[in-house]
This record gives sequence, C-alpha cells and structure tokens, in this order.
Amino acid sequence: MCKTAGLLALLGAMAGGRLASQATELQRLRARVDSLSREWTRAGAIADLADSLERQRAFSGRDTIAVGSLRIVTDPSPLPVRAAAERAWPVLDSLYGDAAQLLAQHPYVIRAFDPDTNAPRPAVYVGLVVPWDMSAATLARLLVANAPMPPPDQALVSWLSGTLRPATRAAQDRTDVYLDLVTAPSTPARACYLGGLRDCRAALGLQSDGDALDLWYPSAAERRALVDRAFTDYFDHGASALTLHACKAGADTACEALLRRLPAGSLPSPLGAQARTTLVRVAMEMGGRDAYRRLVADPRAPMADRVASTANATLDEVIARWRRAILASRPPSVALPWWAVSLALGWAAAFGVCALRSSRWRLG
Amino acid sequence: MFRVMLFTQWKWSRLIILFGTIAAFALPIISLQGAASADRSPLEAQDLLRTVQSWGTLYPVLAAALGLFVAMAAWAPDHRGRHVHALTLPLPRWRYVLLRCAGGALLLAIPAAAVFAGALLATATATLPPGLQSYPFALATHFILATAVAYGVFFAVSAATPRTAGIILAAVGALIAVQVVAGVANVNFDIVSPLTLIVLGPAGPFAIFTGRWMLVDV
Repeated sequence: MCKTAGLLALLGAMAGGRLASQATELQRLRARVDSLSREWTRAGAIADLADSLERQRAFSGRDTIAVGSLRIVTDPSPLPVRAAAERAWPVLDSLYGDAAQLLAQHPYVIRAFDPDTNAPRPAVYVGLVVPWDMSAATLARLLVANAPMPPPDQALVSWLSGTLRPATRAAQDRTDVYLDLVTAPSTPARACYLGGLRDCRAALGLQSDGDALDLWYPSAAERRALVDRAFTDYFDHGASALTLHACKAGADTACEALLRRLPAGSLPSPLGAQARTTLVRVAMEMGGRDAYRRLVADPRAPMADRVASTANATLDEVIARWRRAILASRPPSVALPWWAVSLALGWAAAFGVCALRSSRWRLG
Repeated sequence: MFRVMLFTQWKWSRLIILFGTIAAFALPIISLQGAASADRSPLEAQDLLRTVQSWGTLYPVLAAALGLFVAMAAWAPDHRGRHVHALTLPLPRWRYVLLRCAGGALLLAIPAAAVFAGALLATATATLPPGLQSYPFALATHFILATAVAYGVFFAVSAATPRTAGIILAAVGALIAVQVVAGVANVNFDIVSPLTLIVLGPAGPFAIFTGRWMLVDV
C-alpha cells in the first residue's frame, strides 16, 4: 500500500515537473513568435517605404504618353511607345470594356536602355525595362500582357489560376481546350464533349453542390489514373507510400483516401485553367462593354452566377456557346493537303529525272 | 521487256519486299494494340494517342529504308556486271532506266498496300473513344509518297557513277565538318539549320517525312 502511494507520488512529481517545463517552453515560444511578428511588421513597413521611394523615382522627370486610358511613363528614347500603345489600347479596351478606364489610374512605367552598350544598367524595381530598338508590335504585346489592371478578387484568380489577360493566341487556346475535352481522363469532360451541358458545368468547376472528387472523377479507373499520373511523387513516401501501392494495385478505397488527403483546392479539375479562361472570354463577348465590371462586381457570389452575370445570360447559354466555339476549333486533320501531295510527287519525279540524266553510259 | 525486268527485279529484291510488307502490315496493328480489347476504358484516349504517336515515328523510317534498299537492289547487279548486259540491250539508256524505275516502284506498291490493309484492319477491330478518328487512307497516302520520294532519291544516287555518289556524300560530310569546326572554334556560323529548314521545310524535298504520322487522331 505504501509502495503504491510512493509510486503514485513519484509519478505525480514527475508529471508536475514535466508540465511546468512545458509551460516554460510554451512561454518561450510565445515570446519568440511575438518578437518575429514585430520584426515582420517592421520589415513590411521598410519594404513599403522602399517601394514608395522607388515609385517616386520611377515617375519623376519622365514623359507621360496617353492613348485612350493608357498612361505610360517613360524616358525620352527612340522606343516606339506611342505606336505600341495605339496597338495595345484597342485590345485592352475590347477585353475590359468600360473597366479599362481604370488603367488611367495605374500607369505603366517603361525604361528604355541602349542595347548596344555593355555599360551596367541601374537596378530598376518598378516597371518594364526594354531595349529601345524593340519593335512597336513586340512592345504592344508586352503592354497587353502586363496591363496594370487592379487584380481581381482572390476567388476569381484562384478559379482562373491567374488573372484575366487579353488573348494573344485565342484560336490556339480553343484548340488546346478541344484536345483537353477529347483526351481528359474524366467522365464529365467526355460527357461534355458529347453534349451534356450539366457535365460541362461540372468539368469546368462550376458545380454549385456535391463533392468535387465524386463529380469530377466518378469511377475507380479515373481516380487510379489521376493518382498514377499526377500524385505518384507526392504520395510515394512516408505513411502514404503503402496506400499508394495499394491504390496502384487496384484498391479504389486507397485511391479515394489519398485524393481526399490532398489540401483543399489541390484536386485538379478535369478541364484546366485554359478551358475556364476561354469560357470567361465567351461570357465577356456575350456581355458587351460592361461585362468585366460585372464579372468582378461580386466576389462572394458563386462562380457560376458570376459567369452568367458577365454574359447577361443563363449559364447554360454561355456553356452551350463556349462548347460550340471549342468544337469548331478542332485541330486540322492529319490528312495531307493537296499541295503537299503534289509537292512530294513533284520531288519524286524530279529525282527520277536526275536518274534518267545520269552520266553513266556516256561514252567517250 | 517490262515484265522480264520486273521479274528480275522481283528476284533481286523479294526478301526486302517480303520483310517490308510484313512490317508495313504489322505496324498499324501493333500501334493500336490494346485499343481493341474490351476492358479498355474510353477514358484512356490520351494514352492511345501517345502510343499511336510513338509507333508513328517508324513509318517514315520504314518508308526510307524500303526506298533505299529497293533502289540499291535495282542497280546492284548492273553495277556488279559493269553494265555490260544493259549495254547489249537494244534500248536507249533513258528507257532502260525508266523500266528499272517503274519496276522498283511497282514492287514498292506491295508494302504500301500492306500499310493500307493493316491500317484498315487495325481500325476496324479497334474501339476508339468518342472524339478520336481513324485515318487509314491518309496514313497510307503519306507512306506511299514518302516511299516514292525516298526511292526517287536513292534510285538517282544508285543510278549515278560511284564518283557522283562520292561527290554527294563528300559535300554532305564537308558541310557537317565545317559546322563542327565552327562550333569548336566558337564562331557564330550556322549552316546546318538553314539547310535543314530548306530540306525539311514545307516545300523541301523531304518535307513528306515530317508531320504527324497518326493512324488515330482527334
């Protein structure tokens, strides 16, 4: 009895000591976090100050060129800034519509450098640095790709996997989406190709309810293929490795368990960002000049509602139009065009004539 | 006369034609391996296209090899006999060459037909996922044209004297050597790339060997 009581007292003392030491450790870590947080705030303030000074330096003593709502701050040089802006503005205006007026408040900063000198250039942290012999067409593409529009809300950025930019290769983008639609290893994508608008909605990540994994990859084969293709390296270590091997051996529960372990938003949708971007572009074409403003108007609305409101139409109408545009962008068939056939026959005949005119047998 | 020449050419090149025909017939069937199986999921379109594309690289190789070997076989006995037999024939040279060329071309039609038959059989027995289509006729046309061009080139080279063939080879070798030396000397001089562009470009003689050799595509 005494022995038991002694043992209990000893254990209690040990546990008490450990708890006390844990409390001290907790206090120490808390103090450390507080100190890091203070340092982070201070570093942020210094970075903001540096940015502000850099922006002041970038804007001072330079020319401002205005084309439409584009404002370009640049230093005097032979760089064809105005010509490039005149090309870029209609492209930006056609995408952003009335919202493009915002560009007037967010000027580009362009610094031209002499491409023929090896002299070191001053470090620049704001704006674009380009050689002054850049062509107007290239510079226009640069202006379009780097339009300083205020970034849209995080929900849209995350859904599109980036910001919305004017298309520089719209036809090719649609062709790429066609290939995705035909080859994506996912039932909704294939059903979308065959005409199911509801499946298109799921494949584009516009479903309003339901579990994404069940909607996007409903069959065991799809889930196994997804793990095999996209997540083998991710899961092939530690505790996940055994489950991965079970999944690869055909155990669907293992595949499903692995895919459900992925961080939120990491499950790849059957049709990727390119498909979503082409859909938004179709919606914006349908929606007219005010479409972009409507797209970014309500960041908290479901994406399906935002796309429909952008187009000023129902979501099914937008998806049907998008699907028609994608199916019309089928890549050219592998059949040879007539001119390639003629050329090949011509070359074969030309080589044959060379043989006829060979020098062999030419006597004397 | 043509029948006799065709028969002799068949004797000289029948093994090449036989192996070429077997390969040409088997290639489309192997490239669609598994597409016919009942357990193949329609969701594996990407894998199917990848397999077809991988096997597709062998068609131009086979076309070039057939053109080369049949052209060489057409002239080899003449070269060995120093063209004495040909000179004894009551034929102008251009007609003799034409008959030889036509004989080889006719023999090459057998493997070309085998590609078409193999492609037809492969696609008829395969279950293609929706969205994918088969192109047996386009593939066979591509193969026939590539074989014709390869045969034309090698027939012309074989018909020429060894000196001419040597000059052609030496010219190609010299170009490569110049390029290698320029590379070693760190001189910014690229002659191979523009030449490749000319030869393999859309209007070039060997453009037919490029492009997509797909029996099944979107």
